[in-house]
Amino acid sequence: MNLSLLTLEIVVATLALFIFILGLVAPANQKRGIGYFTVLSLVVSLIIAIILHGESGTAFGTMYVVDPFSSYFKIAFLIAAVLVTMFSISYVNKLGYNQGEFFALTVLALLGMMIMSSAADFITFYLGLEMMTIPFIILTAFRYGDKASSEAGMKYMLLSAMSSAVLLYGLSILYGAAGSTLYSDVINVITGDNIDALTVIGLVFLLAGFGFKISMVPFHMWSPDIYQGAPTPVTAFLAIGSKAAALAAMIRMFMIALPETREVWMTLVIVLCAMTIVLGNFVAIPQTNIKRMLAYSSIAHAGYLLMGLVAFTNLGISAILYYVMIYVFANAGAFACVNEFGNMTGSDEIKDYTGMWKRSPLIASVMLLCLLSLGGIPPLAGFVGKFYLFTAIIDQGYIWLAFLGIGMSMVSVYYYLIVVKVMFLGKPVEETSVPVSLGAKTVMFVSAVASLFLGLYPAPLTDIATKVAQLFFPM
Amino acid sequence: MLQQYSGLGIYLIAAIIFPFIIVFVALILGPKRPNPEKLTTYECGLDTQGPTWVQFKINYFLYALVFVVFDVETVFLYPWAVKFQALGLFAFIEMIIFIAILVIGLWYAWKEGALEWM
Repeated sequence: MNLSLLTLEIVVATLALFIFILGLVAPANQKRGIGYFTVLSLVVSLIIAIILHGESGTAFGTMYVVDPFSSYFKIAFLIAAVLVTMFSISYVNKLGYNQGEFFALTVLALLGMMIMSSAADFITFYLGLEMMTIPFIILTAFRYGDKASSEAGMKYMLLSAMSSAVLLYGLSILYGAAGSTLYSDVINVITGDNIDALTVIGLVFLLAGFGFKISMVPFHMWSPDIYQGAPTPVTAFLAIGSKAAALAAMIRMFMIALPETREVWMTLVIVLCAMTIVLGNFVAIPQTNIKRMLAYSSIAHAGYLLMGLVAFTNLGISAILYYVMIYVFANAGAFACVNEFGNMTGSDEIKDYTGMWKRSPLIASVMLLCLLSLGGIPPLAGFVGKFYLFTAIIDQGYIWLAFLGIGMSMVSVYYYLIVVKVMFLGKPVEETSVPVSLGAKTVMFVSAVASLFLGLYPAPLTDIATKVAQLFFPM
Repeated sequence: MLQQYSGLGIYLIAAIIFPFIIVFVALILGPKRPNPEKLTTYECGLDTQGPTWVQFKINYFLYALVFVVFDVETVFLYPWAVKFQALGLFAFIEMIIFIAILVIGLWYAWKEGALEWM
């Protein structure tokens, strides 16, 4: 077996263990350095990932696949992890305890995501999923003195245990129908003309399990509460990484193992996609807490992302890939702003953002850019992403769905602009400026520049995305 | 296809019906001599002492967790030890790495005071 294919995973796993040890041996007054060390090593891992992105092959038989698709997602996860850890340093240092555990668990969750994106086997996929979820549960409950955080952790644990059960049940039914857990075997056994009731039930359970992870309506109930209760950096990583990883695993499973059963799951996916977009956007409007608002907006984005799967074409998949990348930057920037403001004032209420333009022009302007990018206003990257997604589904004849998406995007601009209006037109209650830590400044700068650059000049990234998507639709 | 499952179906139906039959037979054949002592909570035949809803020490669960980790470790160690000669050096190094990861876990638990009964 070729172990060099697993270089990136081995590096990340070693890093996680090393940070654990570092947290144990470092004296209490020097634990601040662990965060900086984590960021640096993650940047090095990102560089390794970019160097190795051309590799492809299979490991552990055919259970683990390294290909352009998994490399693309791994780079996206690593970017997300770097950005999140960068602005979490000030948060964790303010918390003042267990710095080692926080960063080690973040890296472990990252490892889980990487395994999910490479898994070509039901059990390997499940292993990655749990490896991602369990660190997230601990991270969600990380502020153990805080009732909201503990409650969120408990809720997340119970609900993800339930969704895992549903997912496993679906996987076991599919295993019963196909006689193998390998994607490469499943596709040969479950073909379009022998779909029986058992397979249909398995697919429905599978979709429900995935729906929980990418917060698809009607399995989205957990996300607002947990996003609100969790520490802000963890919320950011949940919203970006967890969703992207589940989406990557879902695309691979449905495209490689179950494309023949498309007639069965496609109808369900279309209906759930439309419901997710509508509900996510409308329920975001009355939210008064910015983390809850971003939670509903991320639900809506899960719906947009599913459109690419509905299209089921090269363009659709490449649109998902492009959108995932810009979603990483826009969300990381927005959450970095929320984090810095919350660090100083302890509040996440939208009304407290009033007059932000006077108190911190940096936060106000980055928040504006990121929210407009999420809303899909040109010339920001979100516009290009949505444009590709809508083009992809219009090509396949789902014009009503595209219109629904465009209409709901307009709705989303409304609630994003409420925040902007409060920040720019409201009178500040206090004149004190909001301090922004160096890490958060870097994140804000990177995400604002990326959102602008990818919007003005999207060609390089879309070229890469199209090439990666050719994996599923060879020319 | 369905015929292959018929055995399973019959088994399922029998399994559902059987408990009812037992309860029903006990109802018919069993002698009925009620007395107040029989209606009290069963607790090893003794009267309960104090409130029964007590909190358990969290340390107990920490011990249990550490135990489970090493319990699972032995599950992997046994087959490896039996086939040690055949598996060779690669498996040996793999096992060393595996045990090292678990030892880090034990070290962590120890240092954080999970093994002390406070």
